[in-house]
Amino acid sequence: MKKLLLSMMVLVLLAAGLVVVGCAAEEAQDDTLKIGLILPSGRDDMSWSQGMYEGVNAVIANMGAGNARMAVTENVPNPVDAGAAIRDYANQGFNIIIAHGSQYQNPLMEVAADFPEVTFAHGTAFETAQNIFAYDPQAQLGAYLFGWLAAQMTESQVLGIVGPVRAGDAIKYNYGFIQGVEAADPSIRVLESYTGSFGDNIQAKEMAEAHINARADILTGTAQQVVGAIQAVSENDGVYWFANDTDQSPLAPNSIIASQAYSWETVVQYMVDSHMAGKLGGEIISLDLTNERIQLVFNPVLMDLVPADLMAEFEVLKADVASGAIQVRLPE
Amino acid sequence: MSEFFQATVILGLLTAGVRLATPFLFAGLGEMLSQRSGVLNLGVEGIMLIGAFVSFYVAFESGNLYLGLLAAVLAGGFMGLLTAFVSVTMKAVQGISGIGIHILGLGLSGLFFRLTMGSISTMRGFPRLAIPILKDIPVLGRVLFNQNWMVYAALLLVPISWAVIYKTTFGLKVRSVGENPHAADSLGISVTRVRYICVIIGSIMASIAGAFLTIGQHEAAFVNNIAAGRGFIAVALVYFAKWNPLGVLAGAFLFSMIDAFQLRIQIIDIGIPYEIPVMLPYIVTIVVLALSTRGRVLGPTALTKPFVRGVHT
Repeated sequence: MKKLLLSMMVLVLLAAGLVVVGCAAEEAQDDTLKIGLILPSGRDDMSWSQGMYEGVNAVIANMGAGNARMAVTENVPNPVDAGAAIRDYANQGFNIIIAHGSQYQNPLMEVAADFPEVTFAHGTAFETAQNIFAYDPQAQLGAYLFGWLAAQMTESQVLGIVGPVRAGDAIKYNYGFIQGVEAADPSIRVLESYTGSFGDNIQAKEMAEAHINARADILTGTAQQVVGAIQAVSENDGVYWFANDTDQSPLAPNSIIASQAYSWETVVQYMVDSHMAGKLGGEIISLDLTNERIQLVFNPVLMDLVPADLMAEFEVLKADVASGAIQVRLPE
Repeated sequence: MSEFFQATVILGLLTAGVRLATPFLFAGLGEMLSQRSGVLNLGVEGIMLIGAFVSFYVAFESGNLYLGLLAAVLAGGFMGLLTAFVSVTMKAVQGISGIGIHILGLGLSGLFFRLTMGSISTMRGFPRLAIPILKDIPVLGRVLFNQNWMVYAALLLVPISWAVIYKTTFGLKVRSVGENPHAADSLGISVTRVRYICVIIGSIMASIAGAFLTIGQHEAAFVNNIAAGRGFIAVALVYFAKWNPLGVLAGAFLFSMIDAFQLRIQIIDIGIPYEIPVMLPYIVTIVVLALSTRGRVLGPTALTKPFVRGVHT
């Protein structure tokens, strides 16, 4: 027993020593801009988290590796665990802390109040403070356009939405998609269902299969679970997918018609520039079609599926949605 | 509502139910064997994740799906050896050490995925293998005999497991070690050896369950935490099944068929919140478990109890 206690004490002392050495190394490079990033899923999820991770990386590359660096805490869907990570980054002297999920609002607000010199950011969200940015992707805009286009392209007159949970970005996207379909042809049926999970790919795959069984020939969906749904789509000839978050066409080049990709790099760059200019927060940063923080990326492999006249109509519609001439409603 | 009762939808539901039951069968039957010998392996989920990653990575790099499966078997065997060492030799508290194995599997699969592949890739997994003549049986043919070979293997493992446990000397040894290890020991049966074998076989089956989630799909991919709790459901199914392979089959089918049903009931939009269908498989399983009081069978008497010769716990 004594040996065990002694061993544990040695381990604790060693760990403490490593922390002290780590902190000393940190302080030696104190002029470096430090960005802490908290992600609900893996930074390689081909979706929400990967998009932001690559955005921050691109900003750091632009600034030069010696001038900025990033630390990432990933796979933290739980807001309580995320709260601990947010506070930890703030304690370590990070300058900008991005909690990339709507579920992080409460712990972020709480920690931000204790660190007025640090910039905090979160989204999809609307709550701001003197040192808090909120960012808000207008997911419904591209979704409306995709819904309209899917309605023009469907042969079975049945479309499918594979949702994660009915909240946040997903509900905005689905709401927009359905409005787009209704604008094109209200008689087209949209099957809308939810797996109850952001990350259960196998369940999303089965849900997409269920939609395809029910004759849906164009599907869409959000969150990192869509990798599974895209697998199901690519197993079935003549079935296609509209993607969200990032350009997902490399996942299934013969099945993904287009992706709504968020330009996180420009959002992060804006926050970095603001921080360096002394503005630590207090603003909702919108991602939309006019500021080009939302880009609709068509898969060149499947461009033949969209005839030129249809694409021309699409571009006109896109301009109307971007200008606000066509209003896409949000859920109440 | 009427379109829900179309043949294609019903057939799709049943086919999906069989497909969804497959990982539960592999992992559940393996866990049952482990528990029959007296070892609760709560690390099934982590071992599934290791099997899912290793099988996909090896198959992706080599272009050979069977090599991927073999790698999953070896990785499962290694994880089983580790689990048995911790639970049987070191006599650790099995619930806690199982959680440790789960976290280890979750971490290692994610870490190796990042170090080796770096991003999500896809490849062709095992294709459907329609069984001649049997596939033409109305309804049953498409539901049962138009799947991939891993589904058939999982179904075949049910009678094999039953025969091994109830009709072989090895099965008798496993049951006696799980019920009364001291009596088994006095008869010359090596409790440690039997438990090691059962835990290793159970872990290999959990690893194959994980491989089904990746290379067992027609379009295969590995993503972090792909098992998404299925390993824990497999452990629960063993209790539901009363440690009987036929019960594991019944439980796996009940859960999976209701799951396939809830995925489809949502899309006909009958005006109920989606959370209710999502909960349905869990609610029905709990209700069936609670109501099945007749013929209640207690688990192996020595389950979770480490064996020390001469010391009765």
